[in-house]
Amino acid sequence: MKEVMAIIRMDMIGKTKDALLKAGFPAMNCMKVLGRGKKKVDFSLIENMLTGSEFSSPTVAEAFSEGHRLIPKRLLSIVVKDDEVKNLVDVLIAVNQKGHPGDGKIFVMPITDCARVRTGEIGELAL
Amino acid sequence: MLMIRAIIRPDKVGVVLSELSDGGFPAVTKMDVMGRGKQKGVKVGDVFYDEIPKEMLMMVVNDEDKDDVIKIIMKNAKTGQKAAFGDGKIFVSPVLEAYTISSGNNEL
Repeated sequence: MKEVMAIIRMDMIGKTKDALLKAGFPAMNCMKVLGRGKKKVDFSLIENMLTGSEFSSPTVAEAFSEGHRLIPKRLLSIVVKDDEVKNLVDVLIAVNQKGHPGDGKIFVMPITDCARVRTGEIGELAL
Repeated sequence: MLMIRAIIRPDKVGVVLSELSDGGFPAVTKMDVMGRGKQKGVKVGDVFYDEIPKEMLMMVVNDEDKDDVIKIIMKNAKTGQKAAFGDGKIFVSPVLEAYTISSGNNEL
């Protein structure tokens, strides 16, 4: 078993969910996270946008201007059998790739065991 | 590659993140979590708090960078010289593969 953890753009979650469903991966966990990558982000664009706009909410402006600047992202966690990993990664890349920095990362990690709470099944049966 | 998950005090996030960035590890993901440790939480007066707000920092680094990252987090997440209960934990787990979505490459 492997856990595939993907960090993707906030606005791509809908498309990703549809694509995963079509590809046969209905099960997933999803979280709102904040993060940053290797590249420095130019936040002046957002600041200019917020100062000029009458809709600028103080919380949004604050979140972007506070010391360590992090960008909101979605973190998906999907546990699959070993032979499904490649297919899943391909689907995730195909849907989320726009070719710009910030599209996200995918990590593949080993899972040693798994249990289904409802029935008590252990191992791959529980997936 | 290794995934480093550090659970630290929310008020230490700023200094840890800026030190990590200065140390050459800018990439990090942060999430709000609630938890308790071996001390079973905190007792304030008669009330026992066993869901203490913490921040989890998650980062994936190459094997040789592990010690540097842990050293930076350890040094900056401590409270005071002696440190205290509740400063947090760091967990390290293996990562088999990493993909960058924008390029589609199998690399960190």
